[in-house]
Amino acid sequence: MHNVYYSQSHKLNEFVSRLKADFRVFVPAVKLAESGKEAEYTYIRLADDAPLVFNPYRVIEPLKAFFTQFAEKVAGYFRPDAAPKQEEKTVIFGIKNCDLYGHKIQDFVFLEGVEVDAAYSLRRENTIFISGDCNDFKSVCHCLAWDVLPYPFEGFDLNLSPLNEGYLVEVGSEKGRDLIERYKEYFTPAKDAQISARKQKRENLVNRLKKHLLPQNLVAKDSVQKLMRQGYHLDTWQQFMLTCVECGGCNFICDTCHCFLLADEKEGQQNSKLRAWDSCQYVNYARVAGGANPLKIRTQRLRFRFTKKFDFFVDNLGIPACCGCGRCIEACPGKIDLREVLKDLAKKIEIKA
Amino acid sequence: MMKNIYSPIEAAIEDIITETQNIKTFVIRPKEEFSFRTGQFIELTLPGIGEAPFTPSSDPNVKEKIDVTIMNVGKVTQRVHNAAKNTAVGIRGPYGKGYPLEQFAGRDILIVGGGVGLAPLRSLLFSLFADIDKYNKVVLCYGARTPGDIIYKEAIPQWSKIRKVEVRITVDVGEPGWNGHVGLVTTILKDLPVDLKNAKAIVCGPPIMMKFVNLKLLDLGFAPADIYLSMEKNMSCGLGKCGHCRLGRYYTCKDGPVFTYEQIKDIPEIWE
Repeated sequence: MHNVYYSQSHKLNEFVSRLKADFRVFVPAVKLAESGKEAEYTYIRLADDAPLVFNPYRVIEPLKAFFTQFAEKVAGYFRPDAAPKQEEKTVIFGIKNCDLYGHKIQDFVFLEGVEVDAAYSLRRENTIFISGDCNDFKSVCHCLAWDVLPYPFEGFDLNLSPLNEGYLVEVGSEKGRDLIERYKEYFTPAKDAQISARKQKRENLVNRLKKHLLPQNLVAKDSVQKLMRQGYHLDTWQQFMLTCVECGGCNFICDTCHCFLLADEKEGQQNSKLRAWDSCQYVNYARVAGGANPLKIRTQRLRFRFTKKFDFFVDNLGIPACCGCGRCIEACPGKIDLREVLKDLAKKIEIKA
Repeated sequence: MMKNIYSPIEAAIEDIITETQNIKTFVIRPKEEFSFRTGQFIELTLPGIGEAPFTPSSDPNVKEKIDVTIMNVGKVTQRVHNAAKNTAVGIRGPYGKGYPLEQFAGRDILIVGGGVGLAPLRSLLFSLFADIDKYNKVVLCYGARTPGDIIYKEAIPQWSKIRKVEVRITVDVGEPGWNGHVGLVTTILKDLPVDLKNAKAIVCGPPIMMKFVNLKLLDLGFAPADIYLSMEKNMSCGLGKCGHCRLGRYYTCKDGPVFTYEQIKDIPEIWE
């Protein structure tokens, strides 16, 4: 059984086109770049037979948006919904390794723990992840700081690595294997030389990214839990919150942030539970009935966002909840840079010691 | 077909007991089988309006209905207070770990309650009373703001007649006709008839009260692992998924809501 295949670009385009018959297919599309700025990519639903756009780095949207929505109905009570919603079969192209890493957090929240979120689980089952190597990076990209590589080795169904006039296609799961079998006319087993070429391209990009990150002096992955604990009372939080406008953008755009709020709604005789994404940067996030609020001030809320990522998840899942995608840095109107917050803590803790 | 974790089961308000000016006990009859362990909580839905977490105040051994004692303090509680008998409500749960009764066996049990915090403790008391032979003794110290704020007024005198049970009550502010103790609940935590080496303390009340009771108990010589605290947090899902109730490395909903002080003593700002 082969694990890596080759597909010429025009063949792969035909394959992508044919998938439309059985799946909702989402692919990256380039957004018109303002001159002098990085090109941005965004997911669109593939409607025509346009050739696949290969995004050199991650798209704007977090992958979680396919699995939990900004606001959606999650239950109807007390009379069951006439026909339970069918989850459509979906293929997503353009996923990067940072997204796959971030998605581990979403899976941990919704598929594990006390009880499983059935709708999430069904969506997950019905979705195929077709990821791709990065062949470039954005200035905010810093995956390597979290030991996340710019190409994936797990968590995908198929992974594409651009090579010459086509793509190497690696199988990462049974679902991916099934897809290759079903559309085998588009794929030929990869040659050793092609796999070596992929390795070379990957190493080249890692080296370029390392060079980009070196002058940034980012904190070490293993130090973040210590930074959270020893830096709890430092003035870093107060300093960095000054420009926070409490928009919640950092949370909503984050691949790992998962908080939500349940609300109730009535339409005719039918009652519904709605689930909406929530942000720990909102003033009422932790407020209890009667008015007590353990996260009254922005300083506390900014710190809460960081301790969740770098203390709670290290304790509960063994990994920090940051994949280095830099989305929160780009989204923040107050220019709060997660990398700088961590560096400031590290600097001050060293001075204290 | 997997269960939908967000969907409440239907129940009806069967009876409403007025406890104080702003506290009522709602007797709720679920239309499906429902049971809980003492100290676990439920999410109570007012259809189309909202949901809030409450720890039942009734005996967990009674299966066909549950009591929920609710103070009128917020959006949902106000609507619940205005609800009439037979109103349809929803229940999700039970959630959380509840009181570890097995750790209480053979011990002197000190229960300290403040205000409406006596509600979850009443459920615990019923559980202890049902197996009173398993415990050395049960001492209840309860504080309310004024005599008018005391809940379960008729039941409390009955409890003190139970073998091995002692009840102490205080109010922060007395009034004409009140012959009992006046002072914060910490003032009745002295000369306690418990053997500290073999005692467990269970505390439930407003955060400020718990903070000072906890200090007092530590002062008296209770070990942090022998003090059980009910932590109040904003809880939405009850399942450890929505994030709101995080307390350090824990979620109050799934890892609590009862924690020993030992578990949470190193987490900053727990009483905020």
